Amino acid sequence: MGMLWNIAYYSCHPAQLRSIIQWKVWHNPPHERDASKDPETLKKSFQFLESTSRSFAAVIKELHPELLVAITVFYLVLRGLDTIEDDTSVPLDVKEPLLRDFKNIIEKDGWNWNGNRPEEKDRQLLVEFENVVAEFKSLKPAYRAIIKDMTNKMGNGMADFVVKAEREGISVQKIEEYDLYCYYVAGLVGEGLTRLFVEAKFGNPALLDRPRLHKSMGLFLQKINIIRDVREDHDDNRHFWPKEIWSKHVDKFEDLFDPKYKEAALNCNSEMVLNALEHVEDCIFYLAGLREQSVFNFCAIPQAMAIATLELCFRNYAMFQRNIKITKGDACQLMIESTQNLQVLCNTFRTYARRIHKKNTPKDPNFVKISIACGNIEKFIEKLFPSQKVEDAQRVVAGQASEKDEETKKREQESWDDMKVMFAIMGAMVLVISLILFFVAWMLGARFDLAIEELRKGNFRPPSKVQHEEL
Amino acid sequence: MELNNILITGGCGFVGSAIARAIAEKYPRCAITIIDIAPPGSIHEVPSQAEFIKVDVTSAVEVEKAIQKVRPTTVIHTAGIVPVLAERFGRRMQSVVWKLNVDGTRIMLDVSKRLGVKAFVFTSSCCVTIDDMRLPYRNISEDWPTSQTSLIYGESKAAAERLVLEASCAQMVTCSLRPSVLTGPGDYQLLPAIHACIAKWETPWVLGDGLNYWDVTLVQNIADAHVLAAENLTSTRTAAGEAFFIQNNEPIPFRDFCLAIWAHFGHIPPFTVHVPLSLAWMAGLLSECYTWFSGTTTTLSRGSVRDACHMRYASGEKARRILGYEARLGLEQGIRLSCEDYARRLGIKLPERPSLKAKAA
Repeated sequence: MGMLWNIAYYSCHPAQLRSIIQWKVWHNPPHERDASKDPETLKKSFQFLESTSRSFAAVIKELHPELLVAITVFYLVLRGLDTIEDDTSVPLDVKEPLLRDFKNIIEKDGWNWNGNRPEEKDRQLLVEFENVVAEFKSLKPAYRAIIKDMTNKMGNGMADFVVKAEREGISVQKIEEYDLYCYYVAGLVGEGLTRLFVEAKFGNPALLDRPRLHKSMGLFLQKINIIRDVREDHDDNRHFWPKEIWSKHVDKFEDLFDPKYKEAALNCNSEMVLNALEHVEDCIFYLAGLREQSVFNFCAIPQAMAIATLELCFRNYAMFQRNIKITKGDACQLMIESTQNLQVLCNTFRTYARRIHKKNTPKDPNFVKISIACGNIEKFIEKLFPSQKVEDAQRVVAGQASEKDEETKKREQESWDDMKVMFAIMGAMVLVISLILFFVAWMLGARFDLAIEELRKGNFRPPSKVQHEEL
Repeated sequence: MELNNILITGGCGFVGSAIARAIAEKYPRCAITIIDIAPPGSIHEVPSQAEFIKVDVTSAVEVEKAIQKVRPTTVIHTAGIVPVLAERFGRRMQSVVWKLNVDGTRIMLDVSKRLGVKAFVFTSSCCVTIDDMRLPYRNISEDWPTSQTSLIYGESKAAAERLVLEASCAQMVTCSLRPSVLTGPGDYQLLPAIHACIAKWETPWVLGDGLNYWDVTLVQNIADAHVLAAENLTSTRTAAGEAFFIQNNEPIPFRDFCLAIWAHFGHIPPFTVHVPLSLAWMAGLLSECYTWFSGTTTTLSRGSVRDACHMRYASGEKARRILGYEARLGLEQGIRLSCEDYARRLGIKLPERPSLKAKAA
């Protein structure tokens, strides 16, 4: 059934199929590696990477060898933290110390933990966590220090939220709380990755001086997930949309899912999107500071996916009814565009910003703000990659043709000359063919002499009646 | 740094009165003199501390007499004529525009320099560059050339600006501010024309792709920029001899700007029709032919079509760096204030903005 649906879908959307084939067949990873010599603990770690994040794993595995293992370990450590934090069956008095002490746990040989409930999706990672510990300890000291520091911050941040959630339930009140939560779960990841990039000399050290940039990288991704997963989270009784935003549109959070309040839900949705859009310029700025291709790919792909998801969510009521996500074809196209260079990626961002723009409606209370946010993205990209030059304008004003214009003119002149020759040849051919036809007709018995004689008499048309004598 | 004695030409106008109010707000003890062809009216409020002198800036004698009397340290020259929309793309008003915008500026410069004025701030326009509509203008800087062959307004402002910047010297420093298209309470050109589209059933039509960005500035921010420029010229003087684009730094498509205004007046186009540019251009041409035959004027012409589809916003970086200019009043709020003011002038009440808490359907 899925197969038939796919056949039908891609028959109607050949561009999507083309993108998928293009990505599968033509994508060349910047770095390929031989996995046969990996130690057992590393193989195990890669297996966990695959099982916990199929989409991210592909990108991580293409990273430069210098950073591949470090980032894999960083990812798995954070996933471990997240698995502990997410499990509602673990009592607080067990969970909190684990989160806060995780920075030391990752240095304990042989440590593992089987306290997750059986249904917890990634519990096996913790059950065999000794593999991750072993790989962590085999990293360079500089990378270990970074990962440990970030684990400390995130563990404490998560613990704070878990404690708060125990008391007050999982709900976010103010926008700054929303930003803070996103910072702990995603912004810190951005900081850690940035420090790893700079340590490996794959990123501009100036990125460390502008924490706002890598913060935005993390917040943008996390906010898109929170916006998109609103239905799923609501079903799990978790609310991450800040009350400061949704209370402007509905009295109760549940009203967002009531079809009676559809218009209010859409307006609330667009205000959430507006909040996320403010990070786009920082993300682009950050990506401009990366120097190595695989690191750029690693950072650019999630951001491109995020802007596409944001556009999909914008004023889309379906997201209040079910989980929505971008199509596989679009995902492949985004991956193609994200793995070229910054300019191609910026064109992608601009394309999606314009699509958001098109869906904007004056019925929305934030219509002007959204328009301005999209305009700022457009302006920022124009600043990075100007589509016009001062010199061209100066030439136009001075009335001079540019070199390009002169070349164009010369080319046109040549084309015109060629065209004249072509027409002359065609005329000659027509003339020759006509003469041949007349000659053949004469040979076959046409009486041109009679025709000419009749024309001279003024008879241009055949007689109206032809009389035939009696046979 | 402290401004103490300022003369504002065109001080009873839309921009001039806003500048006067901004100075009065920031420097309550500053002596403000307003010169204009007509006394302050009811639309543009002028601060009570300002003194008015009736002067025609195209008359050197009158200008000299006024400056002789006031002896200002700073002159802000905003007096000028902006052709109405129907005349913007023609040439009928050329001599009038040139006389006031260029000759008037020359007179102001000559008399000011001769009578000891220290700082001269000129209100130019982004039209010095963008009125040459052969090119789009995306994120342009002040390096972009001014054009001597564009529309009459752009040409006149370019010529006047050249006079001003060349006149800058140790004795009297000058600078030029180039506001983008502007609106605000008291707007008598931009907002009324857009509002009129509602009654004429013109709101559904979109020319081209509707993604040509404009950066509309609010008059309060323009006034702030003038105050900053005057302060700079009387202190660090880093702005001397320079021109600055002044904007809100919030570019949005012209179409969205119109939609926002219409929404405030309770109108949302029920549908949208995209008109190809070439078709719109042809309609403009036909309209011009009709105008030529009948001797009347119209808003639809090839020029207005190009104007409505034109891309025009600047980077605003130079003004931020040298003057420290930031738009204090945001565009969204500015649109609301402008619409409320215009509705008051029309004697109508704006419909209640759709409540954020939508009622159950």
